Amino acid sequence: MREKDKLPENLQNALSNGLLKRLPITFLPFVNQQLNQWDHLFPNERQSIERLLLYVADLSSEQSADLFRDVVEIEEKMGVRQWEFSTTEQTIQNSSLLARSPYFQDWRRAVQAVYDAADSHALKTSGAAVKPENRLVLLDIPLPLPADAASVWRRWQGIGQPMKLDLGLSSGKASALELLLTGIPNADGGRSGGLLDAARSRSDASSADAWVIDAGRSLVDAALGQESSTTNAAKAILLSNGRLDLYRQSFSHEMNTMHKDLADADAVFDRLRKVDVTPWCPAEVAEEPAVREFLRSLYLTGNGAVIYGNSFVEWAASEAFHRARPSFLAAQFGVRSKPKPFTGVAVFDNPDQVNPLPAVDDLPGSAVDAQMLALYVWLAAYRYQEYQSSTVCVCLAESLSQAYVVAPREFTLWQETEPVTLDRLHHALRAWIT
Amino acid sequence: MEIEICPGAEIGSGLVADPGLPADLSKRTFLRAASLLAAGLLLPQARAEETARIVAGSGHKVLLVIVGGVRHDESFSPDGLVNIPHLSADLLPQSLLYRHVRNEGVTAHFNAISSILTGNWQHVDDWGNLAPTTPTLFEQFRKGLGADKSNTWVVASNKALTSLIGASSDSNYGPAYGANVVFPKQLMLTAVVDALRGGRTANMADRSKVEAELESAMAGSNYEGLGWNVFDAADRLDPRVRSTIQNAIASFVRGGGPTSGDELTFFMSREVMRKFAPQVLVVVFSDVEVAHFGSYAMHMAGIRTADRLAYQLWQEVEANPEYKGKTTMAILPEFGRDPDGSSTNGFFNHRANTDSTRDTWMMALGAGIDKPQIIERPIHHIDLCPTLAGLLGCPRMDEQGRAIAEISG
Repeated sequence: MREKDKLPENLQNALSNGLLKRLPITFLPFVNQQLNQWDHLFPNERQSIERLLLYVADLSSEQSADLFRDVVEIEEKMGVRQWEFSTTEQTIQNSSLLARSPYFQDWRRAVQAVYDAADSHALKTSGAAVKPENRLVLLDIPLPLPADAASVWRRWQGIGQPMKLDLGLSSGKASALELLLTGIPNADGGRSGGLLDAARSRSDASSADAWVIDAGRSLVDAALGQESSTTNAAKAILLSNGRLDLYRQSFSHEMNTMHKDLADADAVFDRLRKVDVTPWCPAEVAEEPAVREFLRSLYLTGNGAVIYGNSFVEWAASEAFHRARPSFLAAQFGVRSKPKPFTGVAVFDNPDQVNPLPAVDDLPGSAVDAQMLALYVWLAAYRYQEYQSSTVCVCLAESLSQAYVVAPREFTLWQETEPVTLDRLHHALRAWIT
Repeated sequence: MEIEICPGAEIGSGLVADPGLPADLSKRTFLRAASLLAAGLLLPQARAEETARIVAGSGHKVLLVIVGGVRHDESFSPDGLVNIPHLSADLLPQSLLYRHVRNEGVTAHFNAISSILTGNWQHVDDWGNLAPTTPTLFEQFRKGLGADKSNTWVVASNKALTSLIGASSDSNYGPAYGANVVFPKQLMLTAVVDALRGGRTANMADRSKVEAELESAMAGSNYEGLGWNVFDAADRLDPRVRSTIQNAIASFVRGGGPTSGDELTFFMSREVMRKFAPQVLVVVFSDVEVAHFGSYAMHMAGIRTADRLAYQLWQEVEANPEYKGKTTMAILPEFGRDPDGSSTNGFFNHRANTDSTRDTWMMALGAGIDKPQIIERPIHHIDLCPTLAGLLGCPRMDEQGRAIAEISG
């Protein structure tokens, strides 16, 4: 059993000295939830909440009143104290009450201003600047998905450029992304070191720094089968929608069952927050509390993660950027089925068990979904400063033998016009991250 | 961090890839006509059951078609027109198109729709647990002009709605003046769940047995179990309502076409038009809300379905003597959706305070329109209620919205 991580001493002291009493009421659900789930937070999240709370703790009471003045005034106008507003955790009712207030947008701006002040203070005082490390985001629309040559990169709106690929080496079952991650076979019958291994072996790699997210299971299966060449390599977070079948189906079953018994959504969510998910997890998830809880949160926050593999990939990647700021993330999309007549409208544990009609792949629809969601993954990363200057993003469209590359000019394949072999792409990406 | 939950988010959907243009159109049309004939649904026979209707106010009829969240990007934009061929090509030449219709209220389903229906921005519970606080168009029409309840209907796919959408909590108005509210999709969901519980899931894969499951669900739940509010004094469904629903179900199941929630809503709406010919009919389509689950292809299929069904509703108006020449139809989305790259996950949701989410469009056509034109001047969602109330001849109310000058009958 892993020992629980403790709060840092200075933060614990500040809390003991009544720090939370200085926070506006609408800050409390988030802050309390983060503190209560400290063991389940990624390093980046811990730093973020620490930065805010220690900043406030260092302020005089007048200064902290100044900092929160706008938020408190808006809370007064909203009438938050008259609401049934949870201060211990974020709830659907809280969100709903805030969102339908006429002052919601003002409140959001005021809250953002507080966070900006804390971040700015941290930059000035502790040099908490973003580490200037090269990052890599690798996306794959695999071969079965017929990407549309005319529109596949249209929504990227010229932020990067298309690159032709020579995928001759990637024959066989493995996707191009799998070969990039695990290594390309060479003429001697050997295999070059994969990008995942390179990312995990970086001297500055930490936990939650390398992620692989798979709409199916083959990519993660391949990653699991590969031993790291470096003994002290950081662990990668491996999320396979296929390997998470039991988690997803059990979670969905619980959700559907509870909906019949519990009247309000918060009661359902409260129960789902407490369900022990460990027995539903594949080994690579079960042993990591933060990852287990990441998945619980992912499924609870919707955005299709329970329903469609491609939505799972997009939302998991977006949340990984949001919460963990990994320096390496690889994601592969996949195929979803067409909805089945009549039963497709309802909530089910497993549509294939409920409706005896055979599942039919929707390849063109899956391709349309993947094209849009691949862009969303990159846009999700680009919201954060860490990814705005030294990140290479390569999105492969295997059916077109093309990739779209967003990269700084220092990347060797920037503006490459000739078809690029997978081996050459692999070398360029490996050089970028090592 | 926010909780990423949309009230009324649809879990799963019966959408199919664009069902609008089957390859063998003539055969499909013939089969559909044959099935309707078998069900005794062809228009002349339905009309034969009609009795003289009591017309209130001006005698004008309004058909309001509200679609869930649709961005300009996927509809009235150069890239989006492909998704709305009927609106942009078949109906536009005879329509007013307002290119900028602002939702400045809460961009969640219940509040958006109740703002449209009341002429005031509503800030009530997003989950439909609270009625709008000011009188709806139905109440203004019924109380102001003495119209019967059978003259006002809401037929909706959206699960975020409840029967409280049909009347406000205003003590001078309220449910006594409210509309009939029907959720056909809820009926379908109930049928599926009942079949699942009863071990009859194979029935839901067998088109010939689906009709029986749907009727059984309706009998078991009556209307209250489905969240409906139909002629609310009765313990059991009014026989006229029951036959209306059964006809709609038969048409839906036997038609051989797609089986989405919006399709059933369309068939139900058309039956209501044929059986009751209400002066105020609000139809809410929500297949587009599959976007909450991240399928962009299915979201666009939902837009194409709404485009086609809205057009078919207009065709019904033109073919039905009770409506032809005296009806104004308006079509508008509840809101847009969030922009690509937003922190709220783009098209999945509709929470961002941006033009992509707040700026939508509206088409209006029919008797209330003087001349077709495209209007760039922004209007607001809340302007529609006083406009439609004016067409119906309702007494003026004190509302935040202002009547739209170009729609005046």
